Amino acid sequence: MLYGFYNISVFVETRLLILNADPVFQDRTLAILDTFEDVETWVVRTLSEAVQVLLAENFDALIIEEEPALGIDQAINARQHFPSLTIACLSSHRRDATVDSTAEQQKIRLLSVARSDRGLRRVLANFVGSLDSRSGTAAEGIDPCHSLVGNLNQFSAAEILQMSCLSQRSGRFTFKSSRGNSEIYLQQGSVRHAVFGSLEGESAVAEIFRWRQGRFYFEEGIISQEQTVDRPWAHLLIDNLQKLDETLELVSV
Amino acid sequence: MRDKRLDTKLRLLSLQLENWKRLHDLITYGLDKTKPIVSSEQERQFTEIRANLLQETEYVFSELNVLAELSGKAMNVLQRGVSVRGVRDLTNEEIRRLETEWNAVFTKLGLVQGQLKSRRKQLAEQTALAYYLNRCLSRLFRPPAIAH
Repeated sequence: MLYGFYNISVFVETRLLILNADPVFQDRTLAILDTFEDVETWVVRTLSEAVQVLLAENFDALIIEEEPALGIDQAINARQHFPSLTIACLSSHRRDATVDSTAEQQKIRLLSVARSDRGLRRVLANFVGSLDSRSGTAAEGIDPCHSLVGNLNQFSAAEILQMSCLSQRSGRFTFKSSRGNSEIYLQQGSVRHAVFGSLEGESAVAEIFRWRQGRFYFEEGIISQEQTVDRPWAHLLIDNLQKLDETLELVSV
Repeated sequence: MRDKRLDTKLRLLSLQLENWKRLHDLITYGLDKTKPIVSSEQERQFTEIRANLLQETEYVFSELNVLAELSGKAMNVLQRGVSVRGVRDLTNEEIRRLETEWNAVFTKLGLVQGQLKSRRKQLAEQTALAYYLNRCLSRLFRPPAIAH
């Protein structure tokens, strides 16, 4: 009997979310992006649609095609919710200096739309290429606005998370200790994403539960694009407290 | 191999279908007697979708070569459905027509989308050289037309 061996090759596709209010008639950029190999585009017409889609799925970048002032406003709004997302504004008009400085502050990339298709293709190709080379890195775009700060030796991670989940908070917890930094993202009282070094999801939450030393702070309104935890908070709490008890028992033996 | 025009048609079609689906969601909500409250946000969404469809439908249909077949039906749907509340006030006969015409537009667009996707798949499986070679060979060896 012969068995076939299948060589499964995995290639990574760049996913772009395009915010364009008039994608049928203003479609020059879209037409060029359509011709790029391994680039998947998703078009939305409003910012609220964009936020909805970004919450549900992962994208490598958000491209906003609008008048410069409006585009920057929308980009800043998007940045507040997605600090690590690459955001670019495409604009065919002349910009003033304030737009440039605001964009730089918020880490929003401004892509000048060239008049010729070749020029625009080059700009877009450079942008997509830069996404490929920096995939996996996350840059935070805004200064942290801490709505809750404290020490883990006074309040455990479980207590803090319990309080935040019960009050239906959305935002990011950052825990800093000698072991390193970790982050837990909440969305309306549920843990959505957790990361600690190479650990992600529930294993990262379990790790943070054990910390007894360190500091934490909470930034309201910062939402993760990624979702690595999909169980309700109550289940996570019970499981992790049980594990913690088991660990403590082991220590006391 | 990729065909730029085919990609453009598929993009236009996806955008158009998305709007028809969202319009249907709101019409269905409007017709649901168990949901008495129509919010101003829903009315705003309805108007926005309707405005997009009104300005884009003719252009997209002509790009897809279905203008003659679908334009009248699409316009009937858009003219009858003036608002979510307006849909609620239609007579049973008008509702039936609205749904039939929406369905005709949606079915045809779905079919065209399937055909275009299948064409894209075929093209993706062959190189540009193979594609043009096939075209030339099929022209060369085409059987002569039989005169009646």
